[in-house]
Amino acid sequence: MSIKSIVGCIGCGECVQSCPTDVIRLSTVNKKAYIAYPADCQMCHLCRMSCPVDAITIDSEKSIPVMVSWG
Amino acid sequence: MSEKSGISRRQFLGLSGGVVAAATLASMGIKYHGTKNERELDLNDIKYKESETDVLVIGGGMAGLFAAVKAHDAGAKVLLVSKGRVGSSGATPFAKGIFVYDSNTATISIDEFVEQVSKSAIDTNRKEYTKQMAMYSKERVEELKQWGFFDSPLYHKSFSTPIKKRNIPVKERIMITHLIKENGRIAGAAGFSFDEPIVHIFKAKSVILCTGAGGFKPNGFPICDLTHDGTIMAYNIGAKITGKEFNDGHSGSQTNPADCYTGWHGMFDRTPSTNGVEVHHDLGVDLNYKAYVLGNPISMMPGADNTSVEGGPYIPEGFNRQNQNDENRPSGPPSGENGDGPSGTPPMNGKNEKVTSGGGPGGGPSGGAPAGVSQASSGGASAGMSIHKSEGIAPINLQGESTIPGLYAAGDALGSYMAGAIYTQVGSSLAGSAVQGAIVAQAAAKYCESVTLQNIPSSKLKTIKAEILAPLKRDSGYGAAWVTQILQGIMIPNFVLYIKKENLLNAALAYVKELRDHHSPMLKAANLHELRLAHETKNMIITAEMKLKASLMRTESRCSHYRLDYPDVDYKNWQAWINIYKDSEGNMKFEKVPFGEWTKA
Ligand SMILES: Cc1cc2nc3c(=O)[nH]c(=O)nc-3n(C[C@H](O)[C@H](O)[C@H](O)COP(=O)(O)OP(=O)(O)OC[C@H]3O[C@@H](n4cnc5c(N)ncnc54)[C@H](O)[C@@H]3O)c2cc1C
Ligand code: SF4
Ligand code: SF4
Repeated sequence: MSIKSIVGCIGCGECVQSCPTDVIRLSTVNKKAYIAYPADCQMCHLCRMSCPVDAITIDSEKSIPVMVSWG
Repeated sequence: MSEKSGISRRQFLGLSGGVVAAATLASMGIKYHGTKNERELDLNDIKYKESETDVLVIGGGMAGLFAAVKAHDAGAKVLLVSKGRVGSSGATPFAKGIFVYDSNTATISIDEFVEQVSKSAIDTNRKEYTKQMAMYSKERVEELKQWGFFDSPLYHKSFSTPIKKRNIPVKERIMITHLIKENGRIAGAAGFSFDEPIVHIFKAKSVILCTGAGGFKPNGFPICDLTHDGTIMAYNIGAKITGKEFNDGHSGSQTNPADCYTGWHGMFDRTPSTNGVEVHHDLGVDLNYKAYVLGNPISMMPGADNTSVEGGPYIPEGFNRQNQNDENRPSGPPSGENGDGPSGTPPMNGKNEKVTSGGGPGGGPSGGAPAGVSQASSGGASAGMSIHKSEGIAPINLQGESTIPGLYAAGDALGSYMAGAIYTQVGSSLAGSAVQGAIVAQAAAKYCESVTLQNIPSSKLKTIKAEILAPLKRDSGYGAAWVTQILQGIMIPNFVLYIKKENLLNAALAYVKELRDHHSPMLKAANLHELRLAHETKNMIITAEMKLKASLMRTESRCSHYRLDYPDVDYKNWQAWINIYKDSEGNMKFEKVPFGEWTKA
């Protein structure tokens, strides 16, 4: 499912800021990052590269149908 | 949270086939379809904020960076607002090679360089902008070096260095949706925040659009945050737009086509580097043509399918793939790039030597794919985007000024035709954004000296606020994600945008008009994230209309625009660019501008 899991988050918010498509948000309850809008993940890995504790895992498959130019 | 529809994801991968496929997807019960708007915020909580500045820079990529810094240095009060984080949004974070014209090492003069680009671009480049990019590339790269740009694969920190030093205020995660014009000149812009229910009004003497380009949220190209917002808002207040018939031709992999990171072989992890003169004619549309004629699988790997096909896009003499070949560059189609061209060269390191990592999506020759990964490619990875710098606001001069006084654009948001309607010089897209950002900033700062901030009537602000919030207020309507998927189904198949012919352009246009007239006004949003998607979808629909109509108008084939029914370059009738503008009745109008002439206001 694109961005797949966030484990061991320390709540710094770097991934939220660095995601171009606003996929990740910080929970108002536990102040940790969670995957809010996975359908909009473009698998660019900027969040993973920005995370200071390597908490983010990203998959290769998109969680919604993919349209390509020919098949 | 998951958009699973009961059908295995594997079954979706590699789906294609146009409207029929899109209709099938729609019937698979995707969540967004037709449900009541379950609003997640209280409309009474929405607040309004006003700010004032001399120069408002919209966008935080390479162009926005230099626009903000140089407008400040020219004495203007600057505010930078961006949809995403500075240096971590738009196309900029993924570009790793930047061109430098260094007169000490270059083997050709700047004028010879411009001539080479023009030859490859079949005259579609605006020579003044090509030259400007080369002339100032070194100065900009030197500054980037000082700021630490070449030291990290992530650009946010180095971009923030000069901005923080100057105390330039930055507002991120705000989507600008409207430009505001008063008394025939720019008065500001408006948009909303993703994090708090706030509508922002920015009053400004001058606005520089550094909003990049965009696409149809395509799979395999990391530009899903870009939907030509700057172009469309400028069009809406009467600016002229250009370059919509041309196409970036990047392809991706048939396996996990949406996985941008893997498709680019981990290139995003690399620190950036510089490269020197290397002019190509990097099409991409030729691969689409090959797939159209031969069917799948089409591969770009070395030694793979090198079957040649008859016909197809014209390649100027001296620029065919054989001539461009070297040991790192097999004759198989698009190998990826150090950046710009779909079939560009392998990446370079700072010493102008070819390095072995990288390559574009779909399998670069130099990096290669992980063992066992199929290299059959799929097209449309960047669907909806034109060649960098060939589309956007039509400038009236070399300072990125639009047809509206006080409104400027730079970088991918400016239709400067710096490289022409095809990828020519490797790495020039980043360099061009930097150079243009700096030059436009000085013009905008100067303009500010002669004008005052304008008052914006409250009735106008009220209308704008209502337009911004409309999708949130709708109780029923269409989900933006669903409408986007339908649009992708219409526009991405290679027999629409890439291998063009009149009947199918018209067929697609009929669908797009339906989305424009019926679905656009009925887009709904339950939260601020969906509000963003709704506005982006609206912009994509207008972009689609522009692309189809400009493609119909250009009855020839040239560079990245290929008409199956007009396969030849028409030197008699089409030594011209196409501008698009809105007339006083709101109709989309078109005009030809002969190559070399400037757009008139
Ligand atoms: C995968 C990839 C690889 C590339 N490789 C290379 C390369 O190696 N060399 C090279 O020269 N070029 C390369 N390019 C092209 C290059 O990245 C671009 O031409 C260049 O970065 C454009 O810079 P820009 O500042 O003009 O626009 P962008 O970098 O696209 O920036 C646009 C900015 O505008 C903001 N924005 C957009 N809409 C709004 C809105 N409505 N409201 C507020 N803000 C908004 C965005 O958040 C973003 O900050 C590559 C592009 C891609 C996608
Ligand atoms: S991979 Fe890219 S798009 Fe996906 S969540 Fe991370 S930053 Fe966002
Ligand atoms: S960057 Fe890492 S640590 Fe910081 S909020 Fe995101 S997941 Fe948590």
